[in-house]
Amino acid sequence: MNFLAPLFLLGGLAVALPVIFHLIRRTTRERKSFSSLMFLMPSPPRLTRRSRLEHLLLLLLRCGVLCLLALGFARPYIKKALDTAQPSGNAKRTILLLDTSASMRRANLWADARARAESIVRDASPVDQVSLMTFDRQLHELITFDEWNRTAVGERVALAVRKLSETSPGWSSTYLGEAIISAAETLADTRGKAVTGPRQIIVISDLQEGSRTEQLQGYEWPKGIELSVEPIKPRHVSNAGLQLVTDTDDTGSKEVTSIRVRVANASDSKIDQFKLGWTTGDGHSIAGQPLNIYVPPGQSRIVPVPIPTNALASLNPDRIILHGDDEDFDNTVYVIPPEKSRMNVWYLGTESDKDPHQPLYFLERAFQETRRQMVQVFRGDTNLPWSLAVITEAISDSAAKSLRDNVVTGKTVLVAIKDTQIAATLAQLLGVERVNLSEAQVHNYAMLSEIDFRHPLFAPFSDPRFSDFTKIHFWKYRKIDTASLPNARMLAKFENGDPALLEVPVGKGKVFILASGWQPENSQLALSTKFVPLLYAFLEESGTTTPPTSQYYIGDAVPLNANETGLLVHPPSGSELHLSPGEAIFSQTMAPGIYTLGAQAGRRFAVNLDAAESRTAPMPLDELERLGAPVVHQPTVATYEAQRKVRLRNTELEERQKLWRWFLLGTLAVLFAETWLGGWTARGAPSPEAANP
Amino acid sequence: MSLALHTRESGSSLISPKALMSIRNLELRARVVVEGFWNGLHRSPYHGFSVEFTEYRQYTEGDDPRYVDWRVFARSDRYFIKKFEDETNLRCYLLADNSRSMGFTSLNYTKAQYAATLAATLAYFLYLQGDAVGLLTFDETIREYLPARHRTGHLRHLMLALEQPAVGRATDLASPLKRIIEVVRKRSLIVLISDFLAPIEKLETELTALAACGHEIVVFQVLDPAELTFNFDSASMFEDIESGRTLFIDPNAARKEYLQKLEAHFNALQSSCQRLGIVCKRVATDRPLELALFDFLRERMQRTRGVKRFTRQRR
Repeated sequence: MNFLAPLFLLGGLAVALPVIFHLIRRTTRERKSFSSLMFLMPSPPRLTRRSRLEHLLLLLLRCGVLCLLALGFARPYIKKALDTAQPSGNAKRTILLLDTSASMRRANLWADARARAESIVRDASPVDQVSLMTFDRQLHELITFDEWNRTAVGERVALAVRKLSETSPGWSSTYLGEAIISAAETLADTRGKAVTGPRQIIVISDLQEGSRTEQLQGYEWPKGIELSVEPIKPRHVSNAGLQLVTDTDDTGSKEVTSIRVRVANASDSKIDQFKLGWTTGDGHSIAGQPLNIYVPPGQSRIVPVPIPTNALASLNPDRIILHGDDEDFDNTVYVIPPEKSRMNVWYLGTESDKDPHQPLYFLERAFQETRRQMVQVFRGDTNLPWSLAVITEAISDSAAKSLRDNVVTGKTVLVAIKDTQIAATLAQLLGVERVNLSEAQVHNYAMLSEIDFRHPLFAPFSDPRFSDFTKIHFWKYRKIDTASLPNARMLAKFENGDPALLEVPVGKGKVFILASGWQPENSQLALSTKFVPLLYAFLEESGTTTPPTSQYYIGDAVPLNANETGLLVHPPSGSELHLSPGEAIFSQTMAPGIYTLGAQAGRRFAVNLDAAESRTAPMPLDELERLGAPVVHQPTVATYEAQRKVRLRNTELEERQKLWRWFLLGTLAVLFAETWLGGWTARGAPSPEAANP
Repeated sequence: MSLALHTRESGSSLISPKALMSIRNLELRARVVVEGFWNGLHRSPYHGFSVEFTEYRQYTEGDDPRYVDWRVFARSDRYFIKKFEDETNLRCYLLADNSRSMGFTSLNYTKAQYAATLAATLAYFLYLQGDAVGLLTFDETIREYLPARHRTGHLRHLMLALEQPAVGRATDLASPLKRIIEVVRKRSLIVLISDFLAPIEKLETELTALAACGHEIVVFQVLDPAELTFNFDSASMFEDIESGRTLFIDPNAARKEYLQKLEAHFNALQSSCQRLGIVCKRVATDRPLELALFDFLRERMQRTRGVKRFTRQRR
């Protein structure tokens, strides 16, 4: 039974009043005079045996009158099953977008989101169409519209519940904007059919500040599609996240003694004191003495965590944890200490390294040891592996031949022509018959112009702030006849068109030819700010650069070396993943932790949570609207119209059935019975008080 | 000395208060009690009981013959000098509480009627002895004051004053005592008759002052049997007769505490009176008045020095 005016049912609560008055009859009609009440205290009302049993039937009849009146005034009607069906023309198409990003792993969020999604599915009418999708970094379809339509009406809710139970939040970041756009385009795609019913997207998410929504800006929202948001609120708001800070390869310290981490406290956090430290074993307790840090809400602090050197170091701790906040999903950061790369530069020259007028002096001082790399310049015959060879003067034929053999296998040589005597060595190196070199006539000085900034060598200088080479003056340079070097690529020219820097491929390697020396006698190159980065660029061109990074984020693609394809990957979960031969990247970085390639001693890399997921404070409610999404706060006109039709239908039902008349008749009958019984009781039945005077 | 009342087979006994109160005339009632009291004494096996009254002294040569009490001579053939009431040793003031609380009763007569009868009995008895009797009736104020006299018609005035109905809405025990302190300069007998259902802190102060004046004080607390036992059975709205205040009282639940408080109140009154050497008697209204008169006389007898024989002559 339903009611048109259910508020009148509150009048039924008045039934309690006669019960209360009936049981607790404090005042009695009997009065006695007494000389003085100075020795008497009032007695509390008492439930007497007589007050419970006396006139119980009358009490029930009077309560029945009140209840029947309340029911009648509430205008009851019986709703028939057919009347609840909506016309098929108003079928709603809804896409439920459920957030499964890492921030949804917090305490109660996923359970609440699931419950909300199930509730929305249950409220859908038989003609409505619902598609269930989850999103984090990507959009995943759990139930498509076609699958929904194929499923029997009575089984749809069960299908949705089953799909939701098989899903859980992952570790990825929240790409909310992309998910909404994908859902909107899915709804907008009507496949040529006319759509009359409302279309809406319902987003169920914690709407944290770290959600990526930039894609919504500038997106042209399709007409007729509404966006509704169901924010899920966490029970605990105090959250601080831990992220690894990439080390700057500065020269302040040659050894890595600490790992820098950032502790970011959410803006709505209520806690500001935390503990930090290395952990081993279970990963929940801090080993050794923890660091106490203070981070106010909405701010972050970078804390250097010393790398353990004592007994703790023998346990090889590989993660740093944070204690003190309410949520621990972002309190662990996995660390693989970076390796220091060592590179050798072979200088083939005879001058003293202490002579400031010679190239070697500047070459040795250009490469400073850092935490990430150490470049050593050595001279003379050596069996040391080298990354780059530098020639500034003529060398013996055997040396030149040996050098060429190395270049052919893939090495890189830089020839900085100090004088024209090097022509034979150059020809031998390049494998040509002859290289024509002549001393250029420089009037005053020459400058570099027409630099090929597309080449990786000069790409770092492409920014207009760094692309001005005119301040580097060349007093002397050698004119190189490029006719004898048909494969040479001009990387830089002087302003008169003479080549300044050439790249000549030789076999698998390459030879760079600089027409001048960098020592002050020839130019200002060694004294310019571009000298050191240019040298490092030559090193990079040699192919032996710093080792690949060992720190990644969830969802990042990890490039594999040539010798790593086809190997097994051991993710943190303990399982094994097989890489296909020829697979150059590993993209299954779905969980944070330490991954190992191949055997136990193979390359390891760490995958950590995206820092944006730690920004758990909810975004402003109008943020999506500001980005142009048509967020609905109130029921739309269509919804109002549907509700109005339902109300009209219910009113017609009630007017047809007129059940209130029967309740009124019942009230009158009960009143008649109560009146008769009351009169009979007052007349005929002797009261117990009269029997006991 | 204790007095054992003897009941003859003829049914002669103490007069039941119920029967006594059926006599409408107060003076007649008092007379019945006094005569009944004397009859009881007359039949008592304890002859020789006597009370000395110092109102008479034997004639000695030189006394003025005008003051010879010839009625006593006619009875006794002896010459006795009758002192004028101003010269009598006993001057008695009856202080009767006439507040509305005295109007309570569970019997056929109120406490006020019983107290008035008691006061009338005492007045009659003392008058017969030739004592001067005064009256002061009070409730929250002093209603009537009659100075102590022994003149023709004075007793009638007393009776009329005692017959006035109780109208007061409260009881002030201290004011009548203050009045007595102010007006009575000579040593007297003060008899205070009340239910004392009021705070007695101020009363103690005035009683102390009164006792310090040298007066002899007797206190009668008159209470109804229902007040003494609180033998009500049904829960009701109890209304205070004086103030009109009502309380819902369940007698079965409240009885124990009420009796404790009542007893404590009476004990406090007793203690105060004992400290001041005041006789305090509790009288229930269903108790024969002769016994009250007897208590009165016994107490007085214990106070006076020596015992002289006295015989009452029948008129």
